[in-house]
Amino acid sequence: MSESSGYYGRHLVKPPVWTDFIPLYFFAGGMAGTAATLALAERTARNDRSARTMILGAAAGSAVSAFCLIRDLRKPERFLNMLRVFKPTSPMSVGVYIFSAFAGSVFIAAGSELTGVARPAGRFSETIAGLIGPVMSVYTAVLIGDTVMPAWHLPRKTMPGLFAATSASCAGAWGMLFGSTRSNGSARRLAILGGTTMIAMLQALHHELGPVQDEAYTKGEAGAFARASRVLNVSGVVCATLAKKSDTFGRIAGALLLAGGLAERFAIYRAGCASAKDPKYTIEAQSST
Amino acid sequence: MSEFIDLRMGFFTDTTLCIGCKACEVACKEWNQLPSDGYEFTGDSYDNTKELSGDTWRHVAFVEQFDQKSDTGRWLMESDVCKHCTNAGCLDVCPTGAIIRTEFGTVLIQDDICNGCGYCVVACPFGVIGERQEEHTMGKCTLCYDRLKAGDTPACAKACPTESIQFGVVDELRERAEKRLSAVQNRFEGAQLYLNDPNDGVGGGGSIFLLLDKPEVYGLPPNPLVPTKDLPERWRTAGIAAALLLGAVVLCASARE
Repeated sequence: MSESSGYYGRHLVKPPVWTDFIPLYFFAGGMAGTAATLALAERTARNDRSARTMILGAAAGSAVSAFCLIRDLRKPERFLNMLRVFKPTSPMSVGVYIFSAFAGSVFIAAGSELTGVARPAGRFSETIAGLIGPVMSVYTAVLIGDTVMPAWHLPRKTMPGLFAATSASCAGAWGMLFGSTRSNGSARRLAILGGTTMIAMLQALHHELGPVQDEAYTKGEAGAFARASRVLNVSGVVCATLAKKSDTFGRIAGALLLAGGLAERFAIYRAGCASAKDPKYTIEAQSST
Repeated sequence: MSEFIDLRMGFFTDTTLCIGCKACEVACKEWNQLPSDGYEFTGDSYDNTKELSGDTWRHVAFVEQFDQKSDTGRWLMESDVCKHCTNAGCLDVCPTGAIIRTEFGTVLIQDDICNGCGYCVVACPFGVIGERQEEHTMGKCTLCYDRLKAGDTPACAKACPTESIQFGVVDELRERAEKRLSAVQNRFEGAQLYLNDPNDGVGGGGSIFLLLDKPEVYGLPPNPLVPTKDLPERWRTAGIAAALLLGAVVLCASARE
């Protein structure tokens, strides 16, 4: 029997029982986090028009996130069991409290923004959401890192940076898609900076993984999503640099970068599944340590 | 391990004695009232069970090592089970507190609390946990918690006709495993203990194995590691990334073109 085939080629660790709501959550939650932070920064800079676009984006992302998180449970009616304990050893437990505080604040802030009711409370909530935002955008990298899926566990240095960059790119993209060039300069700059960093971080992730483990990201469905994501992100960044005075270019750039961010989340998710299903990844990861 | 545990109970699975009868699989299904895995024929030796899952808590692995030319070889058989790790990844990551350490030092999923988030499935270094098809909660070996409560032996160990599966106090089982290894080492090339070392990546197992070949031959990970091992380092890196993200947003919002 050959070294890497293990036991009849069967996986040594189990792939997730999760559904596609999970990568969709990483996308929506990440975007929402950074959007709330940008909303706070814009409010502070007295750019109320952009702040409005961004806090509403954060609310949309949070709503999608809440739906995804509950729908993915195999016992959705027991969702609240997550709140009966707080466990620092579980990034999902920590994450539930981060998400609850974040989404709660965002919904109050967005509700106040839309209705004009309770403005001071709305502004206060917007501040809280904006400060939690970066953590909301990045904690999911810890969540998937704290598993035995080699493609998630091994990129310990680059995964958080990649999640941060993708969230920045997507939040900026939201501002370009739904804002206008009169007020969305910050969003455009964030989209360009985030999109460029995302492309670079993905390269760094390939490097950190090494040639064998990297195959999980380059082959199969994960590879297809990764290639699609690269094309979308590169063209999105190019479009964004041309969009300084053009709303049309801005909207195209926004759509491209959001699609690129979504494809990248699916690439990471599928790579994790693939690295569990083929025993060679587990065996290689454990023989080199 | 906490002070609430009097005696840590576990299994010593001595594969030199296993005859591949699957009585353990049947006894486990019967006692725990677990549904069947269906009637799929795999063609992989006598193994049609395939793997441990939410509804299969004992799995007998069959390995045929035969040399076609000389017509010699051997059978390897091993009854696999939850390892009841000292540092259990599933227990660490469970966000509802459904997974607990019992008074017997075992790791138990409480069916009535589990909300089926599935985090334990990807945090188990051995691929032990899976979804229960009828309950939709996550399932694995309980080391027959109900039988232990009544002072009885787990169903699989009780049913094993060759004492390949031995139940007892983990410290004693570790000693027994060491003795057994030195007794058989000369007869079986490649004989080795698995999860008997408290300094390994999971802090040793509550289930210990005597294997006759490398762990991966039986479908066991060669150097299992609890994923939570470097969690503080991961949070630190994420903290830096979050701080940089905050800085990037402030920078983009304050820049003028």
